[in-house]
Amino acid sequence: MLLPKSGLLVLLCLCSTLALFAQQNITGKTRDAVSGRPIPGVTVRVPNTNKGTISDASGNYTLVVPAGTTSLLVSYTGYKSQTIPIKADQSVVNISMEEDFARLEEIVVTGLATNVKRANLANAVATISGKELTGVAPAQTFDAALSGKIPGALITANSGAPGGGISVKMRGITSVFGNSQPLYVVDGVFFSSASIPAGLNDVTAAATAGNPNNQDNPSSRIADLNPEDIENIEILKGASASALYGAKAAAGVVIITTKKGKSGKTKISINQETGFVKERHLLGVRTFTPETAADLAGTADNPDPAVQAKRAALKAQFNDAKSAGKIYDYEREMYGQTGLLLNTNVSVSGGGDKTTFYLSGNRRQEQGIIKGTGYFNNSLRLNVDHKINDRISLGVTTNYIGSSSDRGLTNNDNNGVTFGVALSSTPDFIDLHPNALGEYPRNPFAASNPLETRDRIINNELTNRFVGGANIEIKFQQSAHSTTKFVGRGGLDYFNFKTAALFPRDLQFEENGLLGQSIQGNTNSSNTNWGGFFVNTFIPNENISLTSSAGATLETGFMDNIVTSASNLVSGQSNLDASGNTTTRQFRQKYRDNGFFVQEELTLIDAFTISGGVRFDRSTNNGDYKKYYVFPKGAVSWNLTKMKFWKVDAIDNLKVRAAYGQSGNVPPYGSKFTAMLGSNIGGLPGVLVDNLQGNAQIKPERQAEFETGLDISVLKGRISLEATYYDKTITDVLLRHNLPGSTGFATEWKNSGDLKNQGIELGLTVIPVNTPNFKWTSNLNWWRNRSKVTRLIIPPFAIGAFGNSLGTFYLEQGKPATQIKGNVGGQLKLLGDAEPKFQASFFNELTIFKNFSLRFLIHWKKGGDNINLTELLTDLGSTTVDYDDVINGMKAGLYRQNAGDASIYVQDASYVRIREIGLYYSIPLKNTEKIKSIRVGISANNFFTWTRYKGYDPEVSNFGSNTITTSQSRGSNGLSTGVDVTPYPASKRASFHVGIDF
Amino acid sequence: MKKHISIISIFFFLLGFAACQKGEINSLNTPVVAGITADPSKSDLFNLVTGAESGMRFNMAVYLDGLGVIGREIYRFSGAEPRYTTDLLGAGTKVLDNNTFYLTNPWNSRYQVMRQCFILLDAVKNTRSAVATDAQKKAFTGFAKTIIGYQLLLNINMTDSNGARIPQPNGSPIGPIITDPGAVMDAALKFLDDGKADLTGAEVIFPLSGFGNYSNAAGLLKFNRAIAARIYTYRKNWTAALTALNESFLNLNGPLNDGVYHTFSTNGGDIANTLFLPPNGNGEVRVAHPAFVTDALPNDDRLSTKTALRNSSASQSGLTGNRDVIIWSSLNAPVSIIRNEELILIYAEAKIQTGSFPDAIVALNRIRVSHNLTPYAGAVTFNALINELLYNRRYSLFMEGHRWIDMRRYGRLSQLPIDRPGDDVWARYPLPQNESNQ
Repeated sequence: MLLPKSGLLVLLCLCSTLALFAQQNITGKTRDAVSGRPIPGVTVRVPNTNKGTISDASGNYTLVVPAGTTSLLVSYTGYKSQTIPIKADQSVVNISMEEDFARLEEIVVTGLATNVKRANLANAVATISGKELTGVAPAQTFDAALSGKIPGALITANSGAPGGGISVKMRGITSVFGNSQPLYVVDGVFFSSASIPAGLNDVTAAATAGNPNNQDNPSSRIADLNPEDIENIEILKGASASALYGAKAAAGVVIITTKKGKSGKTKISINQETGFVKERHLLGVRTFTPETAADLAGTADNPDPAVQAKRAALKAQFNDAKSAGKIYDYEREMYGQTGLLLNTNVSVSGGGDKTTFYLSGNRRQEQGIIKGTGYFNNSLRLNVDHKINDRISLGVTTNYIGSSSDRGLTNNDNNGVTFGVALSSTPDFIDLHPNALGEYPRNPFAASNPLETRDRIINNELTNRFVGGANIEIKFQQSAHSTTKFVGRGGLDYFNFKTAALFPRDLQFEENGLLGQSIQGNTNSSNTNWGGFFVNTFIPNENISLTSSAGATLETGFMDNIVTSASNLVSGQSNLDASGNTTTRQFRQKYRDNGFFVQEELTLIDAFTISGGVRFDRSTNNGDYKKYYVFPKGAVSWNLTKMKFWKVDAIDNLKVRAAYGQSGNVPPYGSKFTAMLGSNIGGLPGVLVDNLQGNAQIKPERQAEFETGLDISVLKGRISLEATYYDKTITDVLLRHNLPGSTGFATEWKNSGDLKNQGIELGLTVIPVNTPNFKWTSNLNWWRNRSKVTRLIIPPFAIGAFGNSLGTFYLEQGKPATQIKGNVGGQLKLLGDAEPKFQASFFNELTIFKNFSLRFLIHWKKGGDNINLTELLTDLGSTTVDYDDVINGMKAGLYRQNAGDASIYVQDASYVRIREIGLYYSIPLKNTEKIKSIRVGISANNFFTWTRYKGYDPEVSNFGSNTITTSQSRGSNGLSTGVDVTPYPASKRASFHVGIDF
Repeated sequence: MKKHISIISIFFFLLGFAACQKGEINSLNTPVVAGITADPSKSDLFNLVTGAESGMRFNMAVYLDGLGVIGREIYRFSGAEPRYTTDLLGAGTKVLDNNTFYLTNPWNSRYQVMRQCFILLDAVKNTRSAVATDAQKKAFTGFAKTIIGYQLLLNINMTDSNGARIPQPNGSPIGPIITDPGAVMDAALKFLDDGKADLTGAEVIFPLSGFGNYSNAAGLLKFNRAIAARIYTYRKNWTAALTALNESFLNLNGPLNDGVYHTFSTNGGDIANTLFLPPNGNGEVRVAHPAFVTDALPNDDRLSTKTALRNSSASQSGLTGNRDVIIWSSLNAPVSIIRNEELILIYAEAKIQTGSFPDAIVALNRIRVSHNLTPYAGAVTFNALINELLYNRRYSLFMEGHRWIDMRRYGRLSQLPIDRPGDDVWARYPLPQNESNQ
């Protein structure tokens, strides 16, 4: 990345030592001040020149310096930078590096082309290093690896299906029907995180009854990114930090920097992870008796002879099964597979003075906990940086991803065909196993035989993706006091996404119905982003630094999604044309957003940082596509310890800070039109007015965020605390709100009111022990958010999940945006709130005898309710594990479904979870030339969870999080996570790791 | 420095090139309402008619299942949807939900079709006479108004005295909730009367799918009057019902199934008939209510033509049924809108109500004999004949959305069977939350 260089530029300008022609050699060793271990990779350079070097694997360096050099600049990520004075004729300079515990020197991106030291930062920007991301217990996908690591975020896995699907919400509810997920920027390229459904609704009919939103459970395209390639992640949580990203940044920005090569010896690194995947938790199944089996037909006192006959038949069936030993736990058979996990990563990096490169290949192969499901991801990355000359440097990043996921058939449906829905009514005393000919019996208790469905269907998503970006930085002029540069950037994110859902014609639910279905989708998506920025740094004297920047950006996107659904298949065939009937749906979307900005940053005596900026944005998705919307920002921080009057030595950093900013969220594509959807009858082509009314006046929702905080670190950074309070309001909230059905429209797009989020984030880092043989670093975060609908210009309305009788999210003025209401005794009552009371995470790293390292992350979510409809369905199907318990004199399962009380299924989804735990050992190597280091380790991801929640896992979402909206299907919204309808059960993983560096 | 300038200028050229794509990005996927009504072509108008006819089918399965379950014609078992056996049957302390699929889906779909018809009316208003003559335009408007009247009827059937709104033209504010179902039905009749006026002397140029012999202006007029006759019956305006029947396609000796239908298919862009469930299926099951079986007269062929004995009875939540509903034989099977058999029964009812018992008995016998029963031999009294009429309406119009409404309008809901302790028979659906929350 080129950005850190501007920091060096500043240093270059500050120092004006003259170089003489004579030269001298300096050698030395770079070591950790506490442990005494050599540190490889430390940059040692002569101020104000291009002369510099990097220490090798043993920490040794050699540098030729001009005679008369009086000092060396030493820097290394995670350590404090130093200026080391050297005497004339001194030839050995050993350098002792002090760890930067409070990370005050970390460079944080604050603008589109500028950055600032953390010590001067006015926002609480969370950063996650590559080590924190994947160095403990790697998650399946990049997004899952963020869980528990971002104070202020609510991160929820939608399901356990291979290939991911995660909802990330920064600082509460930022959007309900607009984009509620953060913008991902990878090396300057906007990286799509869309979820594109495979058209499974044609099989499941999930969206045809209680809720029109798509429930296909597609994977998120953010899962494509290989976590091993990531060097660093910065998270701009709200508008006060992300304002310069303008109209796409309201839900936060996740800035990802991938690894780059360093000049010096070529480094080859091979990492292998081998492990297994198991279900986290099973619900258990009801144990039947002859009497309870008979009750499935009706009560014993039912006078209907048909009921009594059926009762006798079921009782006999049960007894026969029992005596034959054919009582089965189908839940365990379906969800109890142990999946194998293999992940291989090879990276090569290095380069010379002018050109550096990073090349990596990654192959991840993983089986799911359901037979036939799994995830396969191949990723190849090449990053090249090149200095054309002293003034111009160029960086190129390229990434190819090929991924394939087999996701099974889970979640809600209305045809009784998904695994979970079929299981929910299948008792333990029937035999669903295939006979010797491979024929599966028909399930008399459900529309499908889940074993047959699992073994014979295909639901595959195949992605081929190329993401590339280029970055050019040109220094126009450079003088003692001023530097002007131009930064140009372009990015392309192209993917082809192919879905194939195949259901043979002789499946139980196909043989008398649609006679086999083949649903194949093909999506081409290309997004580009362009930007040009001028940055001028002006340093009139050592007390003042002024950075001015101005720039323009342009983003375009085009997506073409074609799904063909064929039914009545030719036996054994899957081709779309080998079918009796086909229907094709196409959805295209296109946008063009552009904006420009100016920003000024002032630093005074390195203690005050004041910045201000404004951005203008427009988008073709807005009702008025020509209108520029204005998003201002401003920030101030004051580091008291840099002041002359500061005399308290124990406190080495004390900073107060405040920032304000605005950003927007453009309306979704198509929200300004009222569509006439294709609707044919009898071979005649027809168009029917959509029940979603467009709004030609639609405009972006606007977020204004104020945050203020205090950062303090004492005892040389051994204890540091970061405390932040924020107040975020969203005005003109984009709602697809309910209209009275009598208008002819069910919903309408409208800027309908205001939302408010207030929250607190506390982060405490402590290093209780720091000795050569034992080091303990501990990081404790605590955060909470409260949201409120402060203004609603429309009547209150239910936005899902499945109606009032089963609990629904309900937007109402003066109430939390995440409240859940439902019918209790015929009255609509408040039942819960999806917002957690608070969350906390506790990360520890213990290093013992230099080579052992134990790391673990505990995540606690307190409060936050789910709507557990899995339990409702198992009650309905009479298979809940506690069905026969007694509540109010009735069987629990019967009581719950007939109580007319939606609160029964609104359940507390609190949990304490050991997200990650890993133990690693670096094998001490002696006298080896070729191999530089060998690491081995074991890790466990999401292995231990404590919760009272009755579903598979408290993290669940039937509706996904970024599912796209097409003409014919409604995507997910920003609220309805936590709805639990027979999901793909969550999994846990344990792995063994080996890493070798050459 | 020259080199740098050239690089910069190339960059800006690229940026400028991308920025050159100016202008609005229009709807890439579908026509938009404002576009289609501005200056419609003939095929635009045809597409709108087809869309309206197609939309009339939306959520009819839920509508018929809902009415059938509440009216104790059927049980609807679903592995994924408990509310057919809980809410709709009033299990335990359950009541009907004012914000869920069985109410809001059909309710919204009916008004959606009415909105489509108003869009068609707007489009016709803006149609140049070169595209359609006045007589041809009248056929469009007559069709649109007829459909509005019919769709409004289906919604007030659900909510009854909880009310409904009269649909308004495009751009007009919504009207009040009218809780007098009679007033809403009168409004529906007004749309039908206006439609009748337009259709008189009109020339139909648009194609229809399920209207069969009633696709021309005269046929549409007959369909219009058939619906009007049904509403007059509900309004207890017997003479008007008989007048409307005279102008409808009532044919005492004609085929009972002659009429107007929703057609379905699995072809591209069309929708399949989801009322079809394979016989002897599991999980998703629609079985006749046991009382439908036990109350059938011996030899009544309607039991065996409309239901079939299952290999194994189906059960859910303590309910069991052993006869599958087989009215719709495939995913391509049609669903009736109104047919001659109903008109004959309306005729019989109006005749009973107006004291013309012999005429009524002729009509009832036409039905009875067609279904393998002997001619009526019961008492020739008002009460006995009404009982006989309701029996025949129950069996002839099984699962066509009539039983519950018949029992309601004759104050006989309490006669519907209660299967489980704590179950309720609902008199009407609540007003949808999206209407009451305004």
